[in-house]
Amino acid sequence: MKTRNLLRIALLASSMLAATAAANAKSLVYCSEGSPENFSPSMNTTGTSLDAARPVYNKLVQFAPGTTEPKPALAESYEISDGGKTITFKLRKGVKFHSGVNGFTPSRDFNADDVIWSFDRMWKADHPYAKVSGGSYDYFNDMGMPDLLDSITKTDDLTVVMKLKEPNAPIIANLAMDFATIHSAEYADFLMKKGTPEQFDQIPVGTGSFSFVDYQKDAVIRFKAFDGWAGKPKVDDLIFAITPDPTARYAKLKANECQVMIAPNPADLEAMGKDADINLMSQAGLNIGYLSMNVQKPPFDKLEVREAIALAIDRDAILKEVYQGAGQKAKNPIPPTMWSYDEATVDWEYNPEKAKELLKKAGVENLQTDLWWMPVQRPYNPNAKRMAEMMQADLAKVGITATLVSYEWGEYRKRLQAGEHQLGLLGWTGDNGDPDNFFFLAGCDKEGKPAAQNLSKLCVQEFNDNMMKARSLTDTAERTKIYQAMQKIHHDNVMWLNIAHSTVFEPTRKSVSGYKISPFGAHEFQDVDVAE
Amino acid sequence: MIRFLLKRLALTIPTFLALMFITFVMIRLVPGDPVEARRGERGISPERHAELLHEMGLDQPIWKQFLDYAGGILQGDFGTSIVSKTPVLHEFLTLFPATLELTLCAMLFASLLGIPAGVLAAARRGGIYDQTLMGVALTGYSMPIFWWGLILILVMSNTLGLTPVSGRVDLIKYYYQPVTGFALIDSLLSGQKGAFGDALHHLILPSIVLGTVPLAVIARMTRSAMLEVLEEDYVRTARAKGLSARRVIGLHALRNALIPVITSIGLQVGTLLAGAVLTETIFSWPGVGKWLIESIGRRDYPALQGGIMLIAACVIIVNLGVDLLYGLINPRIRHGK
Repeated sequence: MKTRNLLRIALLASSMLAATAAANAKSLVYCSEGSPENFSPSMNTTGTSLDAARPVYNKLVQFAPGTTEPKPALAESYEISDGGKTITFKLRKGVKFHSGVNGFTPSRDFNADDVIWSFDRMWKADHPYAKVSGGSYDYFNDMGMPDLLDSITKTDDLTVVMKLKEPNAPIIANLAMDFATIHSAEYADFLMKKGTPEQFDQIPVGTGSFSFVDYQKDAVIRFKAFDGWAGKPKVDDLIFAITPDPTARYAKLKANECQVMIAPNPADLEAMGKDADINLMSQAGLNIGYLSMNVQKPPFDKLEVREAIALAIDRDAILKEVYQGAGQKAKNPIPPTMWSYDEATVDWEYNPEKAKELLKKAGVENLQTDLWWMPVQRPYNPNAKRMAEMMQADLAKVGITATLVSYEWGEYRKRLQAGEHQLGLLGWTGDNGDPDNFFFLAGCDKEGKPAAQNLSKLCVQEFNDNMMKARSLTDTAERTKIYQAMQKIHHDNVMWLNIAHSTVFEPTRKSVSGYKISPFGAHEFQDVDVAE
Repeated sequence: MIRFLLKRLALTIPTFLALMFITFVMIRLVPGDPVEARRGERGISPERHAELLHEMGLDQPIWKQFLDYAGGILQGDFGTSIVSKTPVLHEFLTLFPATLELTLCAMLFASLLGIPAGVLAAARRGGIYDQTLMGVALTGYSMPIFWWGLILILVMSNTLGLTPVSGRVDLIKYYYQPVTGFALIDSLLSGQKGAFGDALHHLILPSIVLGTVPLAVIARMTRSAMLEVLEEDYVRTARAKGLSARRVIGLHALRNALIPVITSIGLQVGTLLAGAVLTETIFSWPGVGKWLIESIGRRDYPALQGGIMLIAACVIIVNLGVDLLYGLINPRIRHGK
């Protein structure tokens, strides 16, 4: 009985101590929008899941916070040789993995084995972890890595050599993406021996600024500061309060129940801007909203018809009404914040009379078309239905009758990618800051067949050749020239009608400092501080 | 009693089978699929799409998929979530206590206020109290939950600062691992000072919001049942005997009037278990309603199917419990006699 009482007292005391410690620690609460699918970025595609894993992990190279510039991270340097086909990574020495998570204590520092293990899992079907947790590595495949990689080997514990089958300029930017996260091979072995490999993707161990503490589905994710290679973060505890409703997130921000929140409701922006306790940060989004015109469906194969559509639509009115002014009219397929943006492009004017003339010249009268609008709000298009309605009215003025069409979101994308539409709205948010990551949307394969994401289904040989050539070059000046030429080709062929680049907003409490908006929509907290 | 129970349980088997088949087919009739739902604007080639569907076994004929699924259910296997790769039963059991706790608190709030209000309204039929109360009940019944929740947050939390906005615990002050999944119990078990009060505090607004419609229904149901019973001969006799109004109403009339009220409460509990999604969303309450809605969006067929089956099981159990309660309240309908 005495022992039991002593145990009770000890438990109570430790709980109270923990509570006191928790009360004294500096905590940052981030109101996120949902639960992650798991904590392995290589398997995820949603921002919610990638955000949840990012505090724990590092990559060989990482985007400097708030920029699209890849900087050395776990690799302290890298060298590109062999005409762009070989990349030699010199790894950082003395990097520690988190200790004590899920009963795992690392016996060694990060080394080349971890790098090879992490890529092999996504790449090689016979890897012991390839099929664990479903084994779907969408980003790795989508970025064309299986076709691109020739080998990944180590020359010593701190040197990794990545050989490519062909030169690929965007590779460094690609490796700064979350799918290229580096895991602990030793932790994987530890779990495999324990017979619980699936925990690898649920209880993460990495080298990042925060170590994983706990996750309660649909409620909270907890991390604690880790004094690793990048230095100790400024807050002791990082807490993700999962708050799906944007109005509730705003209410929590106002009540100081969280200090940073994701995705504000557009209707709340004005009030947030006036709130004395809230700092409404904004930045031009790395995105594009566009209207595709399917050339497989006549008469959109005629250039004059596509030009007529471009002239018939009043995009200034759309910007005002749909984007509420929080965006910029787009004249190129890449946003103006991206290198190689061509200022010289002459944008389409709003000129219904000229549009009518072009239609007449093309021999098109009483054109009936469909016009597809997305059933969801996206960063690049806050209200696709309203946008489609406005376009419908504009097209009617030049004698085109457009019927509005929409489907459930997954079905919408599937049908659009299959080319069932005539006119269709969609858009894109950049992954890695490389122009190639936007131009590929209008690309075709080597046989001249449009890729699934090419919604206009238009293959322009010169455009495609340029895209391939730019990938093979490493000189940024040379690539810039090519991309600027591609912007002209894109414009002259009306490969799609660029509509707008939207502005991204992120509200924080005024007590928060050091927070930077990521161009990719990522949420990072390494350098963030909160005043008590 | 045991015979009654067995008979009722036997009746649930065809109900379950029908439910399993209907939901299985209907879920697959919804446009889209789990592969498509995971993809963004990047798109997917038809070949890769087919390959991923094959890996999930979703390229099989639907009857085969159903037989495989039904076979799993018979062995207690509700499948594995396509999204989280964790067993559906585990996910359900993790989230269900939060829904159950909220439902019970909401029903407690609705019953404790609704029954006395209905009794009072019936006792003063046609008076100002009766008319006001029924007017308020009608308003409560017609209240859009989402709007009501947000108004309460704005007033109670943001303006007056009386209640927390959302969640189940003050994330900065308290941290304890869920043991039972019920915040009220886990906060007590944690031994942390103030944790129980904090958990209770977090339950106030969601319970009021979720309990508002049931409160209106219970008040109206109690009133009409009481009015009916008050016209009965035995009540007149009781009054003629000179019993006090309080005794006539409280002892003789209320007990009989409670039968339809309890039926209504039982049905409401069933509805709330599955339908608390709006309240769960506004108050960031980690329950099964929100989980099911997200599963629809992600086309997570096993989670959706398993979730529906498990909630249906809970509703059937609640209804069975209500049937058994009748006997306790009114001995004339005691089962097996």
